[in-house]
Amino acid sequence: MRRAEVNPDSVPVSKRVFRSLLRILPGDFQSNYGREMEHTFEDQTREARDRGGLAGLVQLWWETLKGIFQTAPREHWEILKQDIGYAGRMMRKNPGFTLMAGITLALGIGANTAIFSVVHATLLRPLPYPQGQQLIFIRQQSLKSGMSDIGFSVHEIQDYREQNRTLSGLAEYHTMSFILFGHGDPDRVRAAVVSANYFDVFEVQPLLGRTFLPGDDKLGAPPVLILSYEYWKNRFGGDPEIVGKTFELNDKIHTVVGVLPPIPQYPLERDVYMPTSACPFRSAQKFIDNRDARMMEVFGRVKPGVSVEQAGADLSTIAGRLKLQYPKSYPDNLGYAAATTPLQQELTREARPTLLILMAAAAFVLLIACANVANLTLARMSRRERELAVRTALGAGRSRLLRQLLTESFMIALAGGAVGLILAYGSLELLADFAARLTPRAHEIKIDAGVLAFTLLAALGTSIVFGTMAALFTRANLSSSLKEGSVGTGTGQHKNRLRSALIVSQIAFSFVLLIGAGLMLRSLVKILRVDPGFVPQRVLAMSTTYSFSKYAKPEQYVDVIKKVLIRVQGEPGVMSAAVAGTYPLEPEAISAGSSAFSGSFQIKGREIGAAEAPPMGNFTAISPDYFRTLGIPLKEGREFTDLDGGKEQLVLIINEAMKRQYWPKENAIGQFISGDKGETWNKVVGVVGDVREFGLDHAASPEIYYPHAEGPNPAALIVRTTLEPASMAATLTRAVHEVDPQAAVTHVLTLEQARTESTASPRLTASLLGIFAVLALLIAAAGIGGIMALTVSQRVHEIGIRIALGAQPSSILRMILGQGLLLAMLGVGIGIAGALALGNLVKSLLFEVAPTDPVTFAGVALVLIAAAMIATYLPARRAAAVDPIIALRAE
Amino acid sequence: MARYREEAAREPQEPLTPALFHVLLALADGEKHGYAILKEVALRTDGKVRLSAGTLYGIIKRLNEEGWIAESSNRPAAGLDDERRRYYRLTEDGRRVAVVEARRLEELLGMARSKKLFRKAELA
Repeated sequence: MRRAEVNPDSVPVSKRVFRSLLRILPGDFQSNYGREMEHTFEDQTREARDRGGLAGLVQLWWETLKGIFQTAPREHWEILKQDIGYAGRMMRKNPGFTLMAGITLALGIGANTAIFSVVHATLLRPLPYPQGQQLIFIRQQSLKSGMSDIGFSVHEIQDYREQNRTLSGLAEYHTMSFILFGHGDPDRVRAAVVSANYFDVFEVQPLLGRTFLPGDDKLGAPPVLILSYEYWKNRFGGDPEIVGKTFELNDKIHTVVGVLPPIPQYPLERDVYMPTSACPFRSAQKFIDNRDARMMEVFGRVKPGVSVEQAGADLSTIAGRLKLQYPKSYPDNLGYAAATTPLQQELTREARPTLLILMAAAAFVLLIACANVANLTLARMSRRERELAVRTALGAGRSRLLRQLLTESFMIALAGGAVGLILAYGSLELLADFAARLTPRAHEIKIDAGVLAFTLLAALGTSIVFGTMAALFTRANLSSSLKEGSVGTGTGQHKNRLRSALIVSQIAFSFVLLIGAGLMLRSLVKILRVDPGFVPQRVLAMSTTYSFSKYAKPEQYVDVIKKVLIRVQGEPGVMSAAVAGTYPLEPEAISAGSSAFSGSFQIKGREIGAAEAPPMGNFTAISPDYFRTLGIPLKEGREFTDLDGGKEQLVLIINEAMKRQYWPKENAIGQFISGDKGETWNKVVGVVGDVREFGLDHAASPEIYYPHAEGPNPAALIVRTTLEPASMAATLTRAVHEVDPQAAVTHVLTLEQARTESTASPRLTASLLGIFAVLALLIAAAGIGGIMALTVSQRVHEIGIRIALGAQPSSILRMILGQGLLLAMLGVGIGIAGALALGNLVKSLLFEVAPTDPVTFAGVALVLIAAAMIATYLPARRAAAVDPIIALRAE
Repeated sequence: MARYREEAAREPQEPLTPALFHVLLALADGEKHGYAILKEVALRTDGKVRLSAGTLYGIIKRLNEEGWIAESSNRPAAGLDDERRRYYRLTEDGRRVAVVEARRLEELLGMARSKKLFRKAELA
């Protein structure tokens, strides 16, 4: 009767469930006991149903589940222990193989871990602020004049702040260098001038004191300062009593109100933060009232639930409205627009292409390493074939063998990964320095749990790739190897084809990598050969900062500059000296970009159409000896004199690029230009040679030099010396201080150093790619040498017969070399196709070199084939020296 | 099997788990198949020790590897036999191991008695 109460189908269903449950047990266990267990379970089910009905069944299932879930891990662990012990013995028995495979994988995994730690810290990890993905960077652009970031004016910031409907906060930011007095020597501090809500938008809590309050940026508010953690630690030794202390800055007493926690600072590392009301420029009424005085950068935080795209659309709408409202400030011909990007993306914009290319290169190295280890494993398997066949014959299941081989390969990969991690750790500092040239996130680079997980995954993935390749292949041949004789030439044929395919793919991947490195190298050489347009030897440059408040009027500046120049020129060893707003290849100018110096101008007698973009050029204030000091050749007209720059002598000097663009056929001398919408007109009095101002790989753009008397900007002091320039740094600094003891002299640099510095990023990218490519080349060469050696040892018998039948050793040598050559050529052929297909990816990093550069392709092909030939030569010579008698007797 | 014998003869041996000891005991009076072992253990312990299929065959595998039990070639008459079933018997080594374990338990019990651990009521 009871039977009717339960589901009549329960037996088959429960049996099916039980059967699938058994799958979690190791394969051997299943095949040994599975059927018996099923049978036993059937008996138990029947008894439970007869005795206890549904409750009995439930209890039985509970106990059964518990039993299997307790037994399965124990059984798997037992097998793992056995396999690890066995693998350890095998590794010790073949130290050569273990070492070779371990080193290859260590290099591959190490390269990947190192590059991944950079990619992870900069591109993948969210910004270390609460809800960092809500932070955005807003750019005002003037698209038609080709400027992607012109900054915002005070009025514009107010408009965007009041009219937006998608942001929870909008903060402004600009940087300045000031001189700080009060504790020890005058100190040039890098200041960020921000709106009071800046730290609220970033959601930063202070370590000490407070952040800014809403009233702090009102005009006339008492000046306050917040110190960065690093500045507080380094300059004040982490003084816990710092809050409340005062400093003199721009003639005003500033009170420290807080210290920031140790957080990464974007977009730049600064020493102090001050509210907008404390900046003498930003708080000038004339500046505030001028809608066109654009200087500030703007950050925002989108409201929860609002996407960056929605915020972008909202801000674009405001830009459109402003254009209608103030047509004078936003002329149609400039194409004003507001662009919104996630802050994280903005901070890594420059780094992304380089890092992704390096990551791909590292992945290639690992693939090549995998192919190599797979080949090594295959070679070793052929020696172990009989051992494995015997084990199969003794009853080891196929899955059991596969599992054991995978355990072995995982152990090797894990060892390789551990060594690779050490390599990566060792290279971290170097990489962070490199990345610092590309992104402000570089000092977040470290080896953390994410990177460790990546390394473990790389090791696991690697072992699965090469382990499976080897194991599957071995498995297919197990049955035949017992039947055959000792050497197993029959299956050897087939297996050699797989090995050859692996070699060919290694060569192809190496080729692509070498092409990448070769192209970078060629373009680097071209960059280094570029004529910078000035003579960098024996020139020293330094940043000078004078107190803004002390020299409020331009005449005062002109006066102090004149005194400094006279003083400096009087020093023995000085040939000439000049003062300018910037100098060619100045690191800070390069990182600021040319748009920081550029502006639009008008040419007298040329009307611009309403829809036409006005001419643009870079404006630089210089003292008369600027060109002589830098060795920039005068092409036409004259240089400036001390008389230039007054109201009666409004003059300009332009470069050849500007002449080419605006007066290609006419005489440029005597033309008039206005930089202030026609209020004043300056006469062109000279044309000088082109200079690579913003990087050797940046072609010269139109350059306008004006006499510093017209608008002094003494940011740089440039001195040509007869002595070694670096040795004069102290003398020159003292000379400046004798004129103004409160001036700050920083960033002392020879122009040769500046030039080297400006090529650091392409040089490092080329070196990294070069290292990867050489690694790949070595691994591939070792691979091809290894397989040729194996082929020779397998064919000793056949070669012996050939020699016995009269073949010359030289023809044997040629035969083996020919085989190596064939593999290399095949690899190079595939590699060429691959490199052509991937060429466009590196295009953005190249300078005057096409991604299909025939010289690079031919050179790399030659190098690769030569390496393959050298690697083949040793085994080939061994083949040619085979003694037929010994070879045949051995058989 | 020589290796196993040496190991089994080695004393003192690690205490056996109760479940393992029960399986050895179940086979002490004759060969049985898996289900029969389960039933025997349950019956003898009044249902207090209930082995599941998973646990039982984990134990059987281990006992097999240790050489303490072996598969029996004696099978029931053709009509009663089920070819899916396997019968297990205790080996000499297995018996020795079980005896050592039983002695260990006996000594333990003896100690408990000499310490007068049991009160009269409990003994009864």
